[in-house]
Amino acid sequence: MGRRRVGRPTLPTSTGRWSAAGLWLRWSWRDLKARWIQVAAIALVIALGTGSYAGLSSVTKWRRASTDDGYARLNMHDLRVELAQGSTVPEGALLEVARELGGGGVVDQAEERLVVPIQVDASTEERAILVPGSIYGVNVSDSGPGVDGLFVDLGRELTDDDVGKPVALLERHFGKYYDLPPTGTLEISGGQRIDYAGQTLTPEYFLVTTDRGGLIAEANFAALFTSLATAQQLTGREGLVNDLVLTVVPGSDRDALKAELTGLLAVRFPAVGATVTTREEDPAFKIIDADIDGDQQIYDIFAVLIFAGAVVAAFNLIARIVESQRREIGVAMVLGVPPARIAIRPLLVAAEIALLGVVFGVGVGVLLGQAMVSVLKDFSPLPAWHTDFQWGVFFTVGAIGFLFPFLATTWPVWRAVRVPPVQAIQSGYRAARGGGLAPLFRWVRVPGNTFAQVPVRNVVRAPRRSFLTSLGIAAAIAALVAFVGLIDSFLATIDRGEREILSANPDRLEVDLDRPYALDSEVVRVIRESPLVDQVEPQLRLGSVALKDGEDFGLQVQVLALDSTVWAPRLTAGAVDREQQGIYLSELAARNLGVRVGDSLTLRHPRLEATGTFSLVETELTVLGLHQHPFRFVAYMDSNQAGLFNLAGTTNLLEVVPVEGPTRDDMKRALFPLPGVVSAQGVSEVSEVIDDLLSEFVVLLRVIEGALLVLALLIAFNSASINMDERAREHATMFAFGVRVRTVLRMAVVENLILGIMATIAGVVAGWLLLRAIIAIRIPSTLPDLEVIPVISPTTLAISVFLGVLAVALAPLLTVRKLRRMDVPATLKVVE
Amino acid sequence: MIELEHVTRAYGEGPHQVRALDDISATIAEGEFVVVLGPSGSGKTTLLNIIGALDTPTSGTVRVAGQDITTASRGQLFAVRRRTVSFIFQGFNLFPGLTARENVQFAIDACGRKGGASADEVLESVGLTVQARQFPHQLSGGEQQRVAIARALATGNPVLLADEPTGELDFQTGVRILELLQKQSGPGRAVIVVTHNRQIARAADRVIELSSGRISSDGPPQGGKANVADLYW
Ligand SMILES: Nc1ncnc2c1ncn2[C@@H]1O[C@H](COP(=O)(O)OP(=O)(O)O)[C@@H](O)[C@H]1O
Ligand SMILES: [Mg+2]
Repeated sequence: MGRRRVGRPTLPTSTGRWSAAGLWLRWSWRDLKARWIQVAAIALVIALGTGSYAGLSSVTKWRRASTDDGYARLNMHDLRVELAQGSTVPEGALLEVARELGGGGVVDQAEERLVVPIQVDASTEERAILVPGSIYGVNVSDSGPGVDGLFVDLGRELTDDDVGKPVALLERHFGKYYDLPPTGTLEISGGQRIDYAGQTLTPEYFLVTTDRGGLIAEANFAALFTSLATAQQLTGREGLVNDLVLTVVPGSDRDALKAELTGLLAVRFPAVGATVTTREEDPAFKIIDADIDGDQQIYDIFAVLIFAGAVVAAFNLIARIVESQRREIGVAMVLGVPPARIAIRPLLVAAEIALLGVVFGVGVGVLLGQAMVSVLKDFSPLPAWHTDFQWGVFFTVGAIGFLFPFLATTWPVWRAVRVPPVQAIQSGYRAARGGGLAPLFRWVRVPGNTFAQVPVRNVVRAPRRSFLTSLGIAAAIAALVAFVGLIDSFLATIDRGEREILSANPDRLEVDLDRPYALDSEVVRVIRESPLVDQVEPQLRLGSVALKDGEDFGLQVQVLALDSTVWAPRLTAGAVDREQQGIYLSELAARNLGVRVGDSLTLRHPRLEATGTFSLVETELTVLGLHQHPFRFVAYMDSNQAGLFNLAGTTNLLEVVPVEGPTRDDMKRALFPLPGVVSAQGVSEVSEVIDDLLSEFVVLLRVIEGALLVLALLIAFNSASINMDERAREHATMFAFGVRVRTVLRMAVVENLILGIMATIAGVVAGWLLLRAIIAIRIPSTLPDLEVIPVISPTTLAISVFLGVLAVALAPLLTVRKLRRMDVPATLKVVE
Repeated sequence: MIELEHVTRAYGEGPHQVRALDDISATIAEGEFVVVLGPSGSGKTTLLNIIGALDTPTSGTVRVAGQDITTASRGQLFAVRRRTVSFIFQGFNLFPGLTARENVQFAIDACGRKGGASADEVLESVGLTVQARQFPHQLSGGEQQRVAIARALATGNPVLLADEPTGELDFQTGVRILELLQKQSGPGRAVIVVTHNRQIARAADRVIELSSGRISSDGPPQGGKANVADLYW
C-alpha cells in the first residue's frame, strides 16, 4: 500500500491502492445509481437470459439424470427378443438360447415374458374407454421382474401370492390420461375381468408410442402387467412364452450380441420369426433420448438470442455513459492518469450491471426450472425426479452472462480513452459529433414541417446507434416469433391432419380387425347390418416399408376405394387412377425418398400365401400422387390393387359412418365387443388427444412467451430511455423555443417508430428463418414421421408487430415525467 | 417591454441558500440593446432564463410584453417562449440532424408564424447563403452562431436573449457576431446580451452590471458607447 506516494493529491494514484479502489467503486456506483432504471432494465434482461438458460439447461440435466436413473433402477433390457406375432415357444427355450450368448458369462440377467395383444375396456360411468393394449406376463417373484422392472406409482406391487390370479398392474400413463382410480377392475378380450392392484411405470413405457407413429399414445393404448402364469391362462397359452428381455455385463458390445443372438435364434427356431432389438432401438428410449438433446439445442438457440439482446442493451448504455463522461475522461487524461485506469470507472459500471443481472438470473433460473420440472413430472412421470441445484450449469451460464455484456462494453470504453486529451476536453460546438449519414440523406424529406424531419434525421444521423438499438429489439422479437411460431407450426400440423381426415363424414369411426376377413364374413356382416350403422366402407391397412436409394422407413398403407363417398384423401399432386398399380404418398415421404409423381419406389409389403401365412415381398410401385396428410407413414392405394397383397375381397379396417343419433361412446360399446374387432376409434380422436396433452403445456408456454414479451418490452423501453437521454439537450433547446412537451414526445415517438419498424421487420424475418432452422434440425430427429411446415399465425404476427412497432414507439411516453420535469436551464448549460 | 420588480431567485434552503438574484428591479424598453455584465456566478444566466420564461423567480414580479410570467401557467410560459422571446446560446445548440436552413425553419414552425421572411431570407440577412444546405458540423463556429441568430430572428419575436454569444468564438468572429446582434435592436425589438467581458459591454446603449445577484450599476457603458469596430478583447 502507498508505494507510489508521488503525484497529484486528488487522484487515486496518490492514495493507497485500496482506498483508490474504493474511490473507483464508489464513483462507478454513483454512475450506476444515476441511471438506475436503465441499469435495472438491462440487469433484468441479463437475468432473464441467464436465468432462463440456466434453468432450462438444469432441466435437461435433471431429465437426463432422472431417466438414466429410471432405466438403471428398473434395469432396462439391453437386448429384447420378440417372436413373430402369433408364435410362441415353450417356457425356458428362449432362456436356453440366451445362456449360449457370448459363450456364456455375457448375460447378466434374462427373463422370459409372454406379450399378447388384447383389448381393454376401462370404461367409467361417464365415458367409454375401449382401447387396444397388451398384456405382459412377467416374473413377479422377488419384487420382479428383474429386467424391465415395474415401479408402482399407485396401489401395490404384485407378489408370488398373485401368481395365477386375475390381478395385474395398469400402465400409469394410460391410467393418468383417463384419471382412473389407483385400483379397479377392467374387462379384457373375451369378456374376462381382471383386477388391477395399482398403476405402474416401466422403461418401455416411459413414453407411450405405437407402431402407427402415434407419439403420445397413452390415450389409445393400455399395457397390463401380470404374472406369467396369469397371462398364459388368460390368453390360453399355458407353458408358452414369446418374449425375452436381458441385460448384459457392462462393457459388452450390444450390437455384436444382437447379431449373435439373431443367428442363434435362427438356428434354434428356424420356423419361427424372431426379432432382436437393442435398448437404443426401443422406440420410447430413442425418442426420449433425442428429445432431451433436441430441447437443449433449442434452449441454446434462444439463449444466444436473448444474450444478444442483453449484450446490445448493455453496450448501448455503457456507450451512453462513457459519452456523458467524455469531459471527465479528458480531464483525467490531462492529469496524466493512464487510459487503463480511466477505463476502470465505466468498466466497473458495466461489471456491476452484469453482476446484478447474473445474480437476479439465479433467481429466475431456479423459478423457471421448478416450474418446468413440475409440468414435466406430471407429463412424463418417472420413478424419481432428481432436481438438485446444478452448480456447474449456473456457474458456466453465469460466467457467460457476465462476460459477454461486460466484454461488449469494453469497445466504447476503449474508444473513449483513446481520443487525444485535447479533443476529450473540448467543450461546446467543437465537441459536437459529426452528422453520421445525415448529409447523405439530405434529400430525404418527409412531408410536413421540420418537426417531421427531425425524427428521420436523428435515425440516420447516428447509424450505428440506430442499428444497435434496432438489433436489440430485433433479437427479442426474433426469439418471440421463433418460439411462438414453433407452437403455431405444431398446432397447424395437427390441424392440417385433422382437416384432411375430417374432410368428409367427420363422425365416422375406424374399426380395426385382428386380421383380414372376407367381405361377406360374419364380423363385416354384423357391423354392416347394425341398426347404428349407416354406411360401411371395407378397407385394408398394412404395415409396409418404403425403400429408395438406401432410404427406408415404415408406411401404413391404407387400401381403399379412392372414389369413395365415405371419405377419400385429397391430393396435392398427381391424379387418382384406380386402374393403375401405384401408391399415393405424403409429401414428406416423397421428399425423404427423393421421388416425385411418376417416379417409382420399392415397397416391402406383406403378401398372403396359399398356406395362409404372410410373407414379405418387394414390389416396384409408381408414385401416382401426393396427399395432404402431414404424417409421413400415411400412404394410400386403391382397392382395385388389393391383389398386390393377395387380399382382394378382404378387409381388416372398416370405416363406419353411424346413423343420426348414437354418440361415439354408443358406437364404441356396440362395435368393440364384436369378435375380431381390435379397436374402434373416432377419426378425430388422435388430434383430440394431442390437443388435450398440449393444453397441459400451454400454461408453461404462456409463461415463457410472457417472459420473452417482458424481455422485448424491457429492451424497447431501455433503448427509448437511453435515446431520450441522448436527446436531452436538443429537447431543452426545443423547450427554449416554446415547443410543447407533446410535440417533443411526438418526435420521439416517430423516431422510435422508425426504429421499431426496422427492428420488427428484421426480427420477424430472423425469427422466421430461425423457426425454419429449428424445425429443420429438430423435427427429423425427434418426430421423423411428422411434416411440420413452419407457419407464423396471424396472432403471433400481431403480437410481434404490437411489440416491435407499438410498444417501442410508445416507450418514450414512459419518459414523459422525466421530460416534463426537465431542468431546462441546467440541461442547456450542461457541457457534455 | 420587460419589467422586473424585486426579483429574487434563491437556490436551496436555510444556511446553504444561494441567492443567484437578490431583489432585482429594472425595466427594459423596446428598441434597447442592453448588455448584462458581471463576473462568473453573478447571476447573469439566471436573469436571462427568468426573462426567457425558462425559470421562475422565488419572489418578485416579471412582466414580459405585458404578460406576468410569475403567475403564468405552464402552458402560458411555453407560449411566451414561442411568441415573445428567442434564445441564442453560448454553445449554439443547433439541431445536429437538421441543415442550417432547416434549423431556421424549425424556429418558424415552432412559433407557428405564417408569412414574413422565409428561412432563406433570414439566413441571407445574417450573411449566410451558400451554407444553407450544410449541416452544423460542416460549419465554422462563427457560421454556426449566425445560424443560431438566424434561428432566433426567424421567430420574429420581440425579445432576443443571447447568453455569452461570443464565448466560444475568436475575437474577429466575436466582433462580427456582436455587430449582427446590435443591428437587430430597433423598433419593436429589444436585444439583451449577457457577457462577462467589459469590452463587449461598451457596444451597448445600456449596461446592467450584476454583482453577487444584485445590480451594482445600470446606465450607459463606462467611458461611453463605442463602435463595435473599435473594440478589442
Ligand atoms: N441549479 C442551480 N442550483 C444551485 N445553484 C445554482 C443553480 N444555477 C445557478 N446557481 C448558482 O447561482 C449563481 C448564479 O449562477 P449563474 O446565473 O449561472 O451565473 P453567471 O451566468 O453569471 O455565471 C451561482 O452562484 C450558481 O452557483
Ligand atoms: Mg452564465
